[in-house]
Amino acid sequence: MKATRPLPGDVVADDLDQPFWDACRDHRFLVQRCARCGLFYWPASCCTVHGSADMAWVEASGRGQIHTYAVIHQSYRRTFLDVPYNVAVVRLDEGPLFHTSIMDCDQVEVGLRVQVAFVDYESFTLPLFRPSQTP
Amino acid sequence: MSLLDGSIVGLGMTKQGRRLGLSGRILRRQALELALEDAGVSRSDIDGYILVGSGFEDLRYLGLSPRFSYSLQSGGASPGLAVLNAIGAIATGQATYVACVYGEAFTSSVSGVEPHSGRPPEPPDIGGGAYGYPYLFGQIGPISAYAHAAQRHMSTFGTTSEHLGAVAVSEREYGCVRPGALEEGNPITLADHQRSRIVTEPFRLLDCCRSTDGGVAVIVTSQDRAADCKAPAVDVLGIGTGHNVRKWHEGTMYEDRDVAVAASTAFGQAGISVADIDVAELYAPFSFAVIDQLEDYGFCPKGDGGAFVAAGQTKLSGAIPTNTGGGHLSGFYATGFTPLSEAILQLRGAAPSSQVPNATIALVSGTGGNGGITGSSAHITLVLGASA
Repeated sequence: MKATRPLPGDVVADDLDQPFWDACRDHRFLVQRCARCGLFYWPASCCTVHGSADMAWVEASGRGQIHTYAVIHQSYRRTFLDVPYNVAVVRLDEGPLFHTSIMDCDQVEVGLRVQVAFVDYESFTLPLFRPSQTP
Repeated sequence: MSLLDGSIVGLGMTKQGRRLGLSGRILRRQALELALEDAGVSRSDIDGYILVGSGFEDLRYLGLSPRFSYSLQSGGASPGLAVLNAIGAIATGQATYVACVYGEAFTSSVSGVEPHSGRPPEPPDIGGGAYGYPYLFGQIGPISAYAHAAQRHMSTFGTTSEHLGAVAVSEREYGCVRPGALEEGNPITLADHQRSRIVTEPFRLLDCCRSTDGGVAVIVTSQDRAADCKAPAVDVLGIGTGHNVRKWHEGTMYEDRDVAVAASTAFGQAGISVADIDVAELYAPFSFAVIDQLEDYGFCPKGDGGAFVAAGQTKLSGAIPTNTGGGHLSGFYATGFTPLSEAILQLRGAAPSSQVPNATIALVSGTGGNGGITGSSAHITLVLGASA
């Protein structure tokens, strides 16, 4: 699919998160983990206790539940013209919150179990989520 | 005696409205001159300057010679943070009179000098509204962050669109009688709110403020100097700060905006409790932000904010008159200066409409900035008092 939307490099000034976006191309969902305390973060982060020293990307379940969401009806200028669409915040099972859109879902609601669904564009892969097939 | 030694002795407000056609620095100059006149302070007395906004100020054009000048940008928290910094500068001997000045022309294309090379460059698609990774999924501007908090509240506590509408109606009641307000003479009903189109669910058009042009300036000095100024002083009794990036790290950012720590610091310095507050001026560019702040400041229990507003408690006759100039929704949008300026007017007993009788303690809030993820904002609480 050709991207008619902003690319990851448009919104972040450096390559700290490149491993995440590379893994998305392989349909693997990564989060960061502090090896000292085991807490998970997303995206590239410093542990609030232990700093950056022992942070590493690790593969995550790609599962979580909808924490909250909004449905955008307003169309802005040149991108995202296909309204309405949703922007949800998913609480990953590992802990971090993750902004995404929920696809293949008639009724987006808080608490719904979801799993990652990778959508391939020409130059990158976007991690959307869809309702879980298994609880 | 409060820990703080600061008074607001000058308030300058230009016309606030859509498409005024004046540039930011012209609006700032107008606001500054009105504030100087109000305070009875001369230009040469201003020895500290804080630009509430981004970039460098044109001190040359303003005719100012301060000992320091800097810009301060944390969105809607900036005006309160400017007052905090002004008091700090005064306390450490850096200044005696600090001007905190705002002026923006969000809705105007301003005429420039000729000749000119041509059209301005094409702006980026949504400019500063991109807000990082959430933009990849179409999250644009601050509205979605407020919508996320609102939806979480609705799912948790059963808050309804009608509750949001009650905020819009309350603010419109104040705004439609306020001379110069954006919605002066234009009342609405709850049915009007429910009929207005959805912008970003759960928000309808009447849940959202509109950008306006305008300038606001305040002059801050010590309490002893305030006694010699022309305008009635408004004393800063307490200031508190919080930042909900902490809540992001904890995974609870959509549950509140870290109001508790800011409120407890400010109330503690002022030696007050929530029951002592006569009027609340809350930073709320979207209706929902009134509901959660009324709860988090303790005017009603958590989860009851919608019903509290629907019961009329934010009106002049209610438990806590709130956003008495119409707020952002029906008054004007001058970031955190909308609530701050209205609190000053109320405490002077000089509100052009909807004056709260004998208002002596006012709560002012501000929220804004971005801690690296959309919705992670600074929050500031000011407790202001009418000078005795």
